[in-house]
Amino acid sequence: MNSTHYLIAGASHAGLEAIHRIRLIDETATITVVTRDARLPYSPTILPYVVSGQSDPDRVVLRNADYFKNLNINLITGDELVAIDEANKQVTLQSGDQWHYEKLLLATGADPIIPPIPGLSEASFHVLRTMQDAINLRTHAGSAKTAIVLGAGLIGMHGAENLRHAGLDVTIVEMCDQVLPGYFDTRAASVIQTAFNSNGITMLMGSRVVKVEQQAQSCQVTLENGNSITADLLLVATGVKPKLDYLKGTSVQVEEGILVDRNMRTDAPAIWAAGDVAQAADFYQDKKVMMGILPDAVTQGAIAAMDMSEDYTLQPYTGGVPINTYTFFGQQAISVGQCMADDQSEELTQVDDDNHRYLKILLKDNQLQGISSINEEMDAGVMWQLILRKIDLTSVKDAFIARPLETGRALMSSTWR
Amino acid sequence: MTAYNTITFDPSRCKSCNDCDACMTACSQIKSGTDDLLYSRIKIIAGMNGSLPELALCRQCGDPECTKSCPSTALTKNEQTGVIDWDKSLCIDCLLCTVGCTYGGITYNMTLNHVAKCDMCDGDPACVKACPSGALSYVTSAGIFNDQHDREDLFVPGLSACQGCNSEMIMRHSLRKVGPDTVLATPPGCIPGMGSVGFNGTTGTKVPVFHPLLTNTASMLAGLKKQYNRMGRNVTAMALAGDGGAGDVGFQSLSGAAERNDQILFIVVDNEGYMNTGMQASGSTSYGSWTTTTPVGSEMKGKRTNQKNLAMIMMNHNCEYVATASTAFVEDYYEKLDKALAASERGFAYLHIYSPCPTGWRFPSSQTIEVCRKGVETNFAPLWEYERGGELRFTHSIDDPLPVEAYLNLSGKYRHVSEEQLQHIQEQVNERVKTLKRFAGLN
Amino acid sequence: MASPALKTTHPGCAQSIVCDGNEAAAWAVALSRPDLVAVYPITPQSSLVEYVSQFIADGKIQAELMNVEGEHSVLSALHGAALAGGRTYTATCGPGLAFMFEPYWRTPGMRLPIVASLVTRDGITPQCVWGGQQDAMTMKETGWIQIYCETVQEVLDTTIMAYRIAEHHDVMLPVNICHDGNYLSYGVTQVDVPEQAAVDDYLGEKDVNWHVALDPLRPMAVDPLTGGAGGIGPSKFVAYRKSLCDGMQNALGVIEQAHQDWADIFGREFAPLVEEYRLDDADYALVTIGSMTGAAKDAVDSAREKGEKVGLIKIKTFRPFPIEAMTRALSKVRAVGVVDRSVHYGWNCGPLYQEVLSCLYRTGKTISARPFIGGLAGADLTEAHFAKAIQATATMWADETTIDSPIWLNEND
Repeated sequence: MNSTHYLIAGASHAGLEAIHRIRLIDETATITVVTRDARLPYSPTILPYVVSGQSDPDRVVLRNADYFKNLNINLITGDELVAIDEANKQVTLQSGDQWHYEKLLLATGADPIIPPIPGLSEASFHVLRTMQDAINLRTHAGSAKTAIVLGAGLIGMHGAENLRHAGLDVTIVEMCDQVLPGYFDTRAASVIQTAFNSNGITMLMGSRVVKVEQQAQSCQVTLENGNSITADLLLVATGVKPKLDYLKGTSVQVEEGILVDRNMRTDAPAIWAAGDVAQAADFYQDKKVMMGILPDAVTQGAIAAMDMSEDYTLQPYTGGVPINTYTFFGQQAISVGQCMADDQSEELTQVDDDNHRYLKILLKDNQLQGISSINEEMDAGVMWQLILRKIDLTSVKDAFIARPLETGRALMSSTWR
Repeated sequence: MTAYNTITFDPSRCKSCNDCDACMTACSQIKSGTDDLLYSRIKIIAGMNGSLPELALCRQCGDPECTKSCPSTALTKNEQTGVIDWDKSLCIDCLLCTVGCTYGGITYNMTLNHVAKCDMCDGDPACVKACPSGALSYVTSAGIFNDQHDREDLFVPGLSACQGCNSEMIMRHSLRKVGPDTVLATPPGCIPGMGSVGFNGTTGTKVPVFHPLLTNTASMLAGLKKQYNRMGRNVTAMALAGDGGAGDVGFQSLSGAAERNDQILFIVVDNEGYMNTGMQASGSTSYGSWTTTTPVGSEMKGKRTNQKNLAMIMMNHNCEYVATASTAFVEDYYEKLDKALAASERGFAYLHIYSPCPTGWRFPSSQTIEVCRKGVETNFAPLWEYERGGELRFTHSIDDPLPVEAYLNLSGKYRHVSEEQLQHIQEQVNERVKTLKRFAGLN
Repeated sequence: MASPALKTTHPGCAQSIVCDGNEAAAWAVALSRPDLVAVYPITPQSSLVEYVSQFIADGKIQAELMNVEGEHSVLSALHGAALAGGRTYTATCGPGLAFMFEPYWRTPGMRLPIVASLVTRDGITPQCVWGGQQDAMTMKETGWIQIYCETVQEVLDTTIMAYRIAEHHDVMLPVNICHDGNYLSYGVTQVDVPEQAAVDDYLGEKDVNWHVALDPLRPMAVDPLTGGAGGIGPSKFVAYRKSLCDGMQNALGVIEQAHQDWADIFGREFAPLVEEYRLDDADYALVTIGSMTGAAKDAVDSAREKGEKVGLIKIKTFRPFPIEAMTRALSKVRAVGVVDRSVHYGWNCGPLYQEVLSCLYRTGKTISARPFIGGLAGADLTEAHFAKAIQATATMWADETTIDSPIWLNEND
């Protein structure tokens, strides 16, 4: 039986931050990291850029082998958890190896959802979650001329843009009426959609796929309205969801993801969860949500690790705030916090269609609830903190509305000293 | 661990500049070849509702969030320089780094079409050089940490000094530098009071340490050093004494040792009085100070006489080395400590460190260094050094000092000071500088 | 400056010289090979430190000489040197001793085996610069060993012995060798100066800071704050105090042994604690201290010739007080007259008298006693003065009374 004090399942942003935090206060305890990827850690966010060729797979390694060696961390690649025996604090890996742990962090991320479309499972299609997926897609794109992307979420949009950059004719098929639903309001979404259209990407919005058929060198997709389109390449990007099979038989509670408290503890003893696998507190409402945002994964990984290593400086998780910084065809869409007003919120918008600029501020009780912008300079981190810290804007409200960037910077700078 | 140089910002100095923009212009010029402030990576922002200016600039965080949010490894903390480096060839313009930054330190430049951030100009920041008011400065004292941090702290952890105690910092810095081949004498006062000599059979120091009398530190060390010389052993005889033990009741032995040029490193930690025993006045207490024996009442408004300037008195003993120092200027202190240590091999070396006391002077414990700094910047506590046979040399400019109120206003012990008293103190400061200038050959 | 040598007269003796007590002490210092001597002049000690300084200047003493700015620093410098392992010496008296008081008071607690001559001087005020034991007697409760000499030769011999006593591991206490200002400081006589090699053998290797040191090779905190009402404080403080008292008591035996060994090597015997003179068949006796004893013995001899059965008890070691030796001596008589050269203000007597009274209680007998005070501020104590004291004591013996009010021997001089 192998034994480790800390066992970290997953080596993406949450897992890596956890290692870092543990080592900050515990230089000697054994740490073992298990990642199913055979590669050194990389970020899923980079994958669309690998597809386009902008990023080289060998140059985007988040932590090199020396990092793990120097911190005396045992990195196990190409293996993954298949079972947990929480009573005996043991896990079994795919390889059959068993590990005893004192503390276990589940940061295993999420996997693509494969929608139950007839014919899809028999078809040859791509997803984009691992580096191998990206390499496969890039290889295929080299010989393909046309592509269909199912889904206009972040992966679909990034994937579509990068396939376009790679020279393909791209069609996006999305069930909703707007792109990036949940991240941006309809006005912002429409600016984004316009940019895609004007860059030669066909946007089939509000379209449901009813059938997929594999042909010799291509794939035919039939829509609900009876139209069908054919392309050399099909990318399925209809969302992600955690794979939680390994939790069978444990007392870890799950809904969409693993339910955790504000210290990222699960319901099972000595088990924590963080990142895309976790379903944690929402900032605005008393509910638990899936965040799926890189900076939030870092935060959650840090909190879990601090709790695991009994770091007394731990501040419990303040709750997830949706954040998106989205660059598309040289333009920027940024959204921090809520993007849709409710009854009690005060909405202020500035629109400059000529310059494709747009700014929306949502306030409630003179506190920032959300801010979204297109092609405006915007410090997402400053706005995030204004929301998280519930900074009272009463005395600077006019200035904030007029110059949110400068006012936000001044407010945060004043907290520094 | 490595420490790094850093750019610091003093908004109170910036305020007087009235939108001079020199720093931002310099940054735009050096980074983009234009005067257009949009290209500046340092942003001075008007304060909210008339308060002091604020700063948006990369803080080069020790545990940066921007690098953690970067999926492409374009941002990395440079272990050598401490600068967070940005590699354009790796950046995918995802802007996730801007989510990590709380201070507007890395921002998207819509004209450049990529993020931009301060790179400290390879250790020679243009903004600092351009700043006309001294609001921006490039602090290089990190080098001290890098040079010193492997040396052992020769005091035990957990000394019971007050929060914000300047003396404890001085002690730890000084002894760490002087090293273990030392015999340390700490006469009664804050330094043994916080446990450096220990209690009931314990010790607070890892070198031999002694609680001499309040009165005899210098002569005791003189005898000790003589004996070690006789035995052919090189042992540093070092004193960490308060101003009362050195300048009042212990002055005779101090003067005698200086006259004999005994090989002693004598460091005075001057907190202007007997702070350890309840803030009574000493000869070093400055005019107008409230203390428990120079109280404020209807008939008396703090100390009625001027302070004794011990450092100048010691200079007139023609010691091997005499210097004043302040913990707000640590590089200066380390240089002087080096010189004093070397001088103590030849004879008597005297260091006088101004050591404001949060407990006794009535200022918040977080403000110790600021009080130290203002003491120097108002010329209340000028920094200088003197080597035997040479002239006095100022190590911090005495030109264009701040008015002495800038120093006095920080401490509760001067709260009652009247206009007349204030004027008297300012005159004292001016006179003292004038006298020092004569010794420096300046007039 | 040193006196011309005469022919040698005793075994272990390098030479005989004619000198005063201050020079004799300086010779003793030279022979004891101190590492560090710190000096500050004061009458009637001044010529002593002048001799020592000249000896160092001439290379007769290979010691560090520190000319410091006052007695306070004199003893402080000795503290430092002793804590670094050095053998140390100084001399002082009167106001100088008073100024030295702060470090002086502390020395026994640190168990530093420092030797200091007290060339005793009366206390001011009235202002005076002459002999008297008021200075030394004022210090009797500080924990220093105090040994009072009778002759110039005894000054020389005892000053060397003092290092043997002070540095004994069972003692480790500072020693004052007291010699009377004027009488012994300036009184010239022939003395034998021992051979250096014999003195080296007698003193052995110095080992002065084995128990407490300021040495980077064995770092320790010297004198951390100790005591208070909580934790181990009270017991710790008692342990230190008690061990100092134990060291004092140990010193009695060590002093006796030091004198015995001295006699064996150098052939000169001195009563280490208490000397009994013509006491065995005496009805009554005088009790004396220091240089007055010679005149007192002459007076005893004269009275004996007249048929008076009078004896004499001289105390040499005053601190620690030789209770047993004194009690044993006192038991032999029925009345004593105690002659002090200083005043005990609280008891309206002399300090020696007051201590003798305590021993009288221990004899279990009723012994009459009377205090005499004389020789203050350089006044002579002659055979005539002692004759008067003998007569008064004889009367008291006859009357079997004790009269506590002192007779001031020089009152009518």
